[in-house]
Amino acid sequence: MGVNISAPYIYVCTRMRMRKSKLLPKEEYQRMLNMSVSEITRIIGETEYKQEIDELGTTFRGIDLIEVALSWNLAKEYQKIQAITPGTLKQFTQVYLRTWDIQNVLTILRGKMQGVKTGKIKEILIPAGSLDKVALDRLLSEESPDRIIEMLKDNRMFPVLAREYPLAKEAGSFSRMENELYKHLYATIINDAKTGVKGGASFLAYIQLEIDIKNVKTLFRLKADKVDEEAREMFIPGGSLSLNDFASLNAIKDLGEFIDMIRANISNDTLHVLLDEVRTKKGGVQYIEARLTRVQLEQMEKMSKRNPFSIHPILVYLERKKYEVFNLRALARGKESKLPSEKIVDYLVM
Amino acid sequence: MAAEAVIAAVDVMSIEQITASQVGMKAIGAGLAVGLTGIGTGVAEMGIGAAAVGAIAENKDFFGLGLLFTVIPETIVIFGLVVGLLLLFL
Repeated sequence: MGVNISAPYIYVCTRMRMRKSKLLPKEEYQRMLNMSVSEITRIIGETEYKQEIDELGTTFRGIDLIEVALSWNLAKEYQKIQAITPGTLKQFTQVYLRTWDIQNVLTILRGKMQGVKTGKIKEILIPAGSLDKVALDRLLSEESPDRIIEMLKDNRMFPVLAREYPLAKEAGSFSRMENELYKHLYATIINDAKTGVKGGASFLAYIQLEIDIKNVKTLFRLKADKVDEEAREMFIPGGSLSLNDFASLNAIKDLGEFIDMIRANISNDTLHVLLDEVRTKKGGVQYIEARLTRVQLEQMEKMSKRNPFSIHPILVYLERKKYEVFNLRALARGKESKLPSEKIVDYLVM
Repeated sequence: MAAEAVIAAVDVMSIEQITASQVGMKAIGAGLAVGLTGIGTGVAEMGIGAAAVGAIAENKDFFGLGLLFTVIPETIVIFGLVVGLLLLFL
């Protein structure tokens, strides 16, 4: 703290805080719940999404306009953040945003396997990671998925892609490959953070929190779907839980016992409050997931206040922005399919 | 032996030389007062200035407030300047 913190860190962290303050407040979502898709488009057209809504207004209509504008805005924001972050913060931000590379590559592969038109795939890509618009266009121009994998040979995820792709092709499903890619990503993030670079410890603390929350979400999802097989494959190592803890937690059928075990394994006050709430009040898995995300965000906010000039304020903004886009998309989609407001609320992270 | 040597050295210095030496010491003191407080101000303004520019980059309305906060540590160097002037002219 103090003198040894450089000015660029302070500059970037303040910018992130300012941007965070411009995000939509909870009350705005409550208002939007009573609006139609066109009204929502008009409202978000008056906020930070104005440029995208104006640009795309002539090409797209209704729900498509909102979807594409949100994706474009998210990609633009993330690319901009990568451009302004200095030193190791840039390195951490880029590593963290590689989740979008995985998502984009999988979307392209899935689209190509199912014969979806290139233009349609392009609409749902979010070039927020290291693969920018140009790189993704180059991948999209290839017809065969085998060639796409080959083109990614300089990417850090190539070893996993090369290992898993033949199996995925044979099975006709990319779900195992997706799990493996995310596991590999988290493993490399933990490795990068542990190399002793400045600020690595705070980055590691956040990543472990994210892994914990992801594992708990997976456990709740497995419980809701009553799927027992392959649970071990869905476990992400690196957090507080070990593989054996994860497997034994998944084997517990009783909700009370399950919650007690999680409480014993993961020490996080905010999470404990939520678990107690889940124990007494039955909610759908969607509701629990949204609340778990809220726990993650609250914990991150706390961390960013403890380390005001570290990677934390940047990560808080990246996550909050992502959930704003998710919320707006959930709202618009919910309205389009005429879901009641009470149902849509469960999907929102507020 | 040592005491005798000091007395001999003082005997050698004239009144003019002693006055000149005192003026020199005052000047060094004044220089240190302004210089060190200047460095202190710089360090303090580094963080505030960086944060102010960051805030202004996102929202232009923060220009006035940012500028105001950035110059608050200037008071430190002003104290140094006052001490320096007092040393030189009193």
